[in-house]
Amino acid sequence: MTTDPKPNRREFIRNISSAGAGLILAINLPRSGRAFSAAPAKEFAPSAYLSISPDNKITIWVTRSEMGQGVRTALPMMIADELEADWKTIVLKQASSGGKFAGIRLRTSGSGSIYGTWTPLRTAGAAARTMLKRAAASRWRVPEERLRAENGRIVDKETGMRLTYGELCEEAAGLPVPENPKLKSPSEFRYIGKRVLRVDSPDIVTGRAIFGQDLSVPGMKHAVIEHAPRFGGKPLKWNEEQVLAIPGVRTVVPVTLGIKQGIAVVADTLWTAMKARDELKVSWEYGTDAEFSTDAYRTSLQEALKGTGYRTREEGDPDTALRNSRKTLSAVYEYPFQSHSPLETMNCIARFDKDLCEVWSGTQTPDVASILISRQFGFPEDKITVHTPLIGGGFGRRLFADQILETVEIANSAGVPVKVFWTRADDTRDGFFQPFSICEMKASVEDGSVKAVTHRTASSDHSMSGPPLKDLKRYIDLLAPWGAYDSPYLIPAYRAEYFHIDAPVPTGPWRAVWYPQNVFARECFLDEIAAELGKDPLEFRMELLDGPDLDLNGTIIRRKALRNVLKLAAAKAGWGSPTGARRGRGIACNIYRGASLMAQIAEVSVNGKNEIKVDRIVCAVECGQVVNPLGLEGQIESGIVWGLSAALKGEITFKNGAAEQSSYGDFDVLRMNEMPVVEVFTVPSTERPQGIGEPPVVPVAPAVSNAVFAATGKRLRKLPLRL
Amino acid sequence: MKTVSITVNGWKHNVEAPGDTPLLWIIRDHLGLTGTKYGCGVGICGACTIHEKGEAVRSCQISALEADGSEFTTIEGLSKNGDHPCQKAWIEEDVSQCGFCQPGMIMTAAALLETNKKPDDNAIDDAMSASVCRCGTYFRMRKAIKRASEVMSK
Repeated sequence: MTTDPKPNRREFIRNISSAGAGLILAINLPRSGRAFSAAPAKEFAPSAYLSISPDNKITIWVTRSEMGQGVRTALPMMIADELEADWKTIVLKQASSGGKFAGIRLRTSGSGSIYGTWTPLRTAGAAARTMLKRAAASRWRVPEERLRAENGRIVDKETGMRLTYGELCEEAAGLPVPENPKLKSPSEFRYIGKRVLRVDSPDIVTGRAIFGQDLSVPGMKHAVIEHAPRFGGKPLKWNEEQVLAIPGVRTVVPVTLGIKQGIAVVADTLWTAMKARDELKVSWEYGTDAEFSTDAYRTSLQEALKGTGYRTREEGDPDTALRNSRKTLSAVYEYPFQSHSPLETMNCIARFDKDLCEVWSGTQTPDVASILISRQFGFPEDKITVHTPLIGGGFGRRLFADQILETVEIANSAGVPVKVFWTRADDTRDGFFQPFSICEMKASVEDGSVKAVTHRTASSDHSMSGPPLKDLKRYIDLLAPWGAYDSPYLIPAYRAEYFHIDAPVPTGPWRAVWYPQNVFARECFLDEIAAELGKDPLEFRMELLDGPDLDLNGTIIRRKALRNVLKLAAAKAGWGSPTGARRGRGIACNIYRGASLMAQIAEVSVNGKNEIKVDRIVCAVECGQVVNPLGLEGQIESGIVWGLSAALKGEITFKNGAAEQSSYGDFDVLRMNEMPVVEVFTVPSTERPQGIGEPPVVPVAPAVSNAVFAATGKRLRKLPLRL
Repeated sequence: MKTVSITVNGWKHNVEAPGDTPLLWIIRDHLGLTGTKYGCGVGICGACTIHEKGEAVRSCQISALEADGSEFTTIEGLSKNGDHPCQKAWIEEDVSQCGFCQPGMIMTAAALLETNKKPDDNAIDDAMSASVCRCGTYFRMRKAIKRASEVMSK
C-alpha cells in the first residue's frame, strides 16, 4: 500500500480538469468519481451536440469514438465554425450511449465520422448561431440582418453593441430551433480547412490522457480470461478449488459471451489474476474446428476456385475472349490473415448498480453495445450506459462488443464491478482477423491491348455482415467484392467472381475492410499486363480510365477525377525519372466506395541481401473538403504505415485451430527505422468531405510490390513481400 | 507479500506487493500513475518505458524486488509543467494519434537526447525502433525529436 497517496490523488484530479492548449478537455468518468458541476439551470441547449451556459462556456459533445483518427478535434471544428465560437472557450465531452444520445449514431466505422456528421454538426452550429442572433435582435429591437456572429459574440454592425453568447443564452433558449438554418459558404469557413492541432495532445504527452486501461471504479475486481486455446473449445472441467485457494483470488467463473468460451479468474489485483490464470488447468472439448489450419484452408480455396462462384460484376464475354485469346496471362495473389493488434489490448469495466448497468470500454460502438447488453441480459436499454474513454487504437477491432459482453457477464455472475483485461497474447491470438484470401486473375492480351480480365476471389467474409449469399444486392453493396466489383478500369470483357468458403476464424473489418486483398491483386496484375504490353504502368492506367464515369448501383466511379489524381501523384513523385540500380517506383490507385480517390507511388530500394526498403511514398488524394489538413495528412501517414506493416512485416497463421503468433515479436509491425518519407498532395475541393481513415491503406502493398518489380524484375504476389 | 521501497517522480513509496510484480503494475495499480502503459508485457513494444537514472528502461521487465531501493521517473514526472522539449515538440508537430504509445515514446526520446543532444537519423532509429506505434506516427515523431534536439542543444 502506498504511504503517501498525495501524487496519486493529485494526478486523478488533474485528469478530470486538465486544461489543454486550446480546448479544455473533459472525459466522462465513473459516476462515483468526481462529477462535473451540475449544468446551470438556464443553459441554452438547442441540440444534443452543444450547450452554452450563462457564464459563456460552450460545451460540445463528441459523438464518435476517438481512436487516433482525430474526431475529437475535427468534429468540434465543424460545430465551432458554424457557431462562430471562440475555439479557446470550448469544453469537450464525450457522448455516452443512451440518454440524450439515444437514436444518435455513436458507432465509429467505415471512415465515416466526418462524412456522417458534416451536415448534422454544421446544422447544429448554424441553428444555435441563428437563434442567438434572433435573441439579440429581439433584445435590441433591430433587424436581424444587421447583426453578425463573431468569436462567441453577437455584434451590431451599426451601433457596435455586442453581447456574448452566454449573455443571450436564456432568451435564445426560448426560441424555436430552426430546421434548415443557413449554412456558411466555404469562403466563410473559419476553422474548417485550417491546420488545427489535436486537442488531446497536451494530455497525451503528459500521461494524463485516460484510456480504458487506466480507468477504475470503487470496489472493482480484476479479471483475466482463459479463452479456449483452439477454435470451438468448450470447458469441461477446471481446477476451480486450487485456483480459488490462491490468496487474492475471488472467483473463477465460466464465460460464454466473448469471442470464445472461457474461464475467468477474478482477483483483487490484476497481477494476482494474471498469475492465478497460469495455475488454471482446463480440459476442453473440441470439434473439427480445432483442426483448422491456414495450409488446409488455402487448399480448400484453391479447390473452390476450380468451380463457379458468385458473379458480382459481368461485362462483355470474358469466357469467349479468354478461350480464343492468342495470349493469356494468369496469376494468383495471396493475402494472409492479419491481426489488428492495437497497442491498447482489449479491456472493459462493467458495474451493476441496483437496476442500472454501467460500462466503460474503448469501443467503436457504444450504441450497439448497449443494444446487445439489453438483448442478452434483458435490461431495458435506458438503464444501460456505455462510456467511451480514449481508445488506444481501434482499426475495426473495437467494432465488436465481445469484450464488453463478457465483462458484463462476469460482473453479473461475480456480483461486483469487474475490469476485464486482455494480455498481448490474448489479443493477438483472439481477434477478428482480416480474412485470408486468394485472388485468381486472368487476362486476354492481344493486339497491344487488354481484351478481358477475370478477377476471382476466394475467402471467408467478415462475420459482422452475416451470411453473404442470401441477399445479392446487400452483399454487393456491403461486402466482399470491394476492389473487384468496383474496379474503375474500362476493359471490354470483365468479370468479378467471389467464392465464400467458411472458416472458423472470427473475421471482421480490419482497416480498409475488403479493399486491401482485392486491390493488391488488381493493381499488381494490371502492372503485369502493362509489362506484357510493353506499356508504362501509369500511361496504361490513364488509357484504361479514359472514358465516362460509371454508375454501379449508385456507387459512382469517377474515372476522369481518378486520372487527375494519378497525374498529380506522378508529377510530384517524378514518375519516369531515373531511379538508379536496384531501385524502382511502383504505382497503384483506388476509389474507396465511390468516394475518396487515391493514387500512391512507392519508391523502393533492394539491398545486397535482397531486403526491401521503402524509401518514399507519394500520395495524391481527392476526398472533398478537407476539414483539418493536419489530421488528413496524419491519417494518410498512418494508413500507409498500416499498409506497409501488412506488405512487409507480419501475418497470422493458424495451426491446430489456433493462431501461431502471440505478440509483436512474431506478428511484427513497421518500426521507426522502416518508415519512409511520406508526401501528401490534395486536390482542392469544397464538396462534402469523404473518408480518409481507411483509403490510404489500400494502394500501399500493390505500389510497393510493383516498385519491387521495377527494381528487380521479380513479381511478388503474396504478402508479406519477400524476395 | 513483500514491502518494497521505491521513489517515483521524487516521491518515496513503500509498497506491499508480491515480489515478482512487474514495476509497471506497481506504478499503475499501486501508485495510480497510469501514464505508463501496458502494451505487450514482454519488453518488445516500449509502451511502459520509464527512466532509471536518466536511462530508458522497460518497467514491465523489472520486478518489484529488483526495483526495491531505486529511483524512477515516469511520464508524469518528466517535467513539472508538461514542458519538456520533447513534450512541447510532440504537441507542435502534432505527433499523437491514439496517443497510447506516446508516453513511452517520449520517455525513450528524452533519454536519447540526454546522452546525444544532436542525434542523426541513424541514432534516432537505433533508439526508437524497439518501440511500436500501431497508428504509425513515426514520420512526425522523427520531426519532433529533431525539433526538441534543436531546443535542447541551444
